Amino acid sequence: MPSPEDVKATIKTYILEEFLPGEDPDELTDSVELMTMGILDSISVMQLVSFVEEKFDCSFDAHELSVDHMNTLEDITKLVTSKL
Amino acid sequence: MDFGWTKEQKELRSGIEELAKGELNEGLIERDVNSEFNRKGWMQCAEAGVHGLPIPVEYGGLGRDTMTTVGVLERLGYGCRDNGLVFSINAHMWTLSIPILHFGTDEQKKRWLPGLCDGSLIGGNAMSEPSSGSDAYSLTTSARRDGDSYVLNGNKTFVSNGSEADLALVYATSDPEKGPAGISAFIVEKGTPGFEATGHVEKMGNRTSPMADLFFDDCRVPAENRLSSEGDGVSLFTHSMTWERACILSSAVGAMDRLVEMSVRHAKTRKQFGQPIGKFQMIASRIVDMKLRVETARALLYKAAWLRDQGRSIFLESAMAKLHISESWIATAQDAMHIQGGQGYMRETEVERELRDALGSRIYSGTSEIQRVLIASMMGL
Repeated sequence: MPSPEDVKATIKTYILEEFLPGEDPDELTDSVELMTMGILDSISVMQLVSFVEEKFDCSFDAHELSVDHMNTLEDITKLVTSKL
Repeated sequence: MDFGWTKEQKELRSGIEELAKGELNEGLIERDVNSEFNRKGWMQCAEAGVHGLPIPVEYGGLGRDTMTTVGVLERLGYGCRDNGLVFSINAHMWTLSIPILHFGTDEQKKRWLPGLCDGSLIGGNAMSEPSSGSDAYSLTTSARRDGDSYVLNGNKTFVSNGSEADLALVYATSDPEKGPAGISAFIVEKGTPGFEATGHVEKMGNRTSPMADLFFDDCRVPAENRLSSEGDGVSLFTHSMTWERACILSSAVGAMDRLVEMSVRHAKTRKQFGQPIGKFQMIASRIVDMKLRVETARALLYKAAWLRDQGRSIFLESAMAKLHISESWIATAQDAMHIQGGQGYMRETEVERELRDALGSRIYSGTSEIQRVLIASMMGL
């Protein structure tokens, strides 16, 4: 089972490559508000969820695709780790 | 992946098909001309369990999985030529019942789902506005919190079931500065002061499905009618639309089956130049293309439903199903009309209505262009 650090690193790399190309990786801290700042919009949330499901063989409940659960890298890591 | 049907599923499918082939089609030509909703047919479908197919038994539904649900709706579409009625049932299920089931509190589920399943409540979904269609999240209908309620102001357009609806799921912003993150969803009940639905909207197709514009003028809605948390409207709408894209055209696959069968029958019996027209390769080839379309449409529908039952997200699959089924339905209806020749252009043969009904599918639940944008995005483009 991947560690929380592995999960976070995988998700961070995906977000940087897909949604923040060319940005300084150090700027994407655990607490950057991805959804409320518009880095993740409704379509990119779908992309991210599909990637995570495939990568970690897990699934999400409908209400989890929200600001309450996926607004920061830390939130997403916590959510994904809880499913592994 | 197993797309075979169990004995119980077969019985459910054939039972709905029998119902659909009977009374639901009576008087259809006149209802289409008069844009008349078949409330009796609505209730018959509800009594047969159609409206509550995916809703758990404890809330008044049949508690069936997604595969069974789309499989039954497919046979409803095969037997029932009233595509407007079928559309109304689908809009009711995917844009109101499912959001309440997946985002509602237990109290909200108990309050509304039994009525939505037994047909006594008709539901609709109010997202589009005069200036926000595909750009849905640019909506301007506002929801101002005031004590234990919200005050809604604005108007919605193209609301399916709107003029008949007892409940509407209304998307509104409580904080425009937050953009999409400021959007919430509210269940507004018919008769709420400040809430008004226009009467009749003339449409090209699906004329037996009622549609209306909704107006909110200082409409006070109890906070307990908010679905999910404040600002969660986008995730709710995304979820609702994913279900809708995946399932709303289940019935269209059945309708395509019907059109293919009709075309084969006609091609075998209509004679020109001394032989059935189906013996002419250009006619036969057209029917082969129709058959290929319906089979590929069915495969995409079943795959999306199967994946959903495995607990997987189906953002990509639902967009592909919606895009392909809608485009295939239109092409199949055009071919069916063409094969009928001059008769196909006449109201009495009911093929021209099938084409009019099919055309809307390329627009509602996200246009074909929007589906392509979604698919491309999901492919990383």
